[in-house]
Amino acid sequence: MPSATAPSPGVLIPRVQVRAYSFEDDQFLLEENIRFEFGLVRDLSISAEIPLFQGFFNAPRPTDGEFGLGDMDLLVELRVLREDINAIDTIRVSVFAGAELPTATNGFAQASLDPCIGAVFSSIFGHHGIDLSARYTSVTGDGLASPIFLTDSGDDFFNIDAGYAFRIHPEEYAQTREPAWYLTAELNGVWTVGGEHELVLSPGLLIEAPNYAIELGVGIPLSEELASAPKLEFALLAGLRLLF
Amino acid sequence: MLATTPSIGATFRARLFVLPFILLVAPLASCQTTGHSSPAAIAGPTSLADGRYTLVLHGMSCPKCISNVEMQLTRIQGITHPTVDMKNGFVRIDVHSDNAPSKAVIANAIEDSGFTLVEIREGDN
Repeated sequence: MPSATAPSPGVLIPRVQVRAYSFEDDQFLLEENIRFEFGLVRDLSISAEIPLFQGFFNAPRPTDGEFGLGDMDLLVELRVLREDINAIDTIRVSVFAGAELPTATNGFAQASLDPCIGAVFSSIFGHHGIDLSARYTSVTGDGLASPIFLTDSGDDFFNIDAGYAFRIHPEEYAQTREPAWYLTAELNGVWTVGGEHELVLSPGLLIEAPNYAIELGVGIPLSEELASAPKLEFALLAGLRLLF
Repeated sequence: MLATTPSIGATFRARLFVLPFILLVAPLASCQTTGHSSPAAIAGPTSLADGRYTLVLHGMSCPKCISNVEMQLTRIQGITHPTVDMKNGFVRIDVHSDNAPSKAVIANAIEDSGFTLVEIREGDN
């Protein structure tokens, strides 16, 4: 999920994530996701994210490990509020807008330019961190004939996400550069204007050092109302983020 | 199976949707915030003399913040060895008077890195 943190001007943050999805009827999907976030000027950043998929579905969805690029996500994010309360505690709010660009034409990509707009609130108080975000995407095409995700249906949709992180180490920050460890939990929800929804709980672990971060997580569906996309049984996530 | 080509009406709707946001963001982005830095932090003599200083910051909430602030301060001529103390919100720097930066330049660098400069102290505390 997004957060209201931003790279400072001239700073590039690449991130690689690998996700493994297990769907009903022994169907699987691998997603390798590459994201670049770049600070343009103070409080303004741009990000580009493109997924590569490998599908192990039953026909007519991609079968037998078929590869395919997904649509690129291009976003501009502007931080509109920053209240730094003390050495560590802070409150931040960002707004963002962009689009999913039709970068591929295959069973994984929608071939339509779908604009989006949203906002995110982030706060850290001591050991606790909270992120709340909302995003609306306008789908201008007809989606996929055989949707893989709920968002492939062709309907406009909302993403509502809530995240919580608890720093388990160190107890207090020191003068060293040792990484911090966080237990994390996210609630990720998608609702389409057509009446479908999916709510997923994602507990995880985040290890963050000055120049890198490692994230591990699992996604557990809590509620699904799907018309044609396959039901998710669970998902696994591993990610690496670097700071240049 | 390929998705059908979006209709002309849908494409126009997409552009209309994004345009207001771009028109709003562009002027906001060009006017950098004057910042949250305390006026007291940059009061007094505008340039710093040779020596070690401690910058007191607010908002350094995670280890990634260390790299952010070090990167911005390292770009300033006349500043070397930025060292972050997250526990106290301190950044210790060495200033060289050959190219001594002004306090405003330091405050801008801290704002650029996403934090608030509260105070500039002489020495290690």
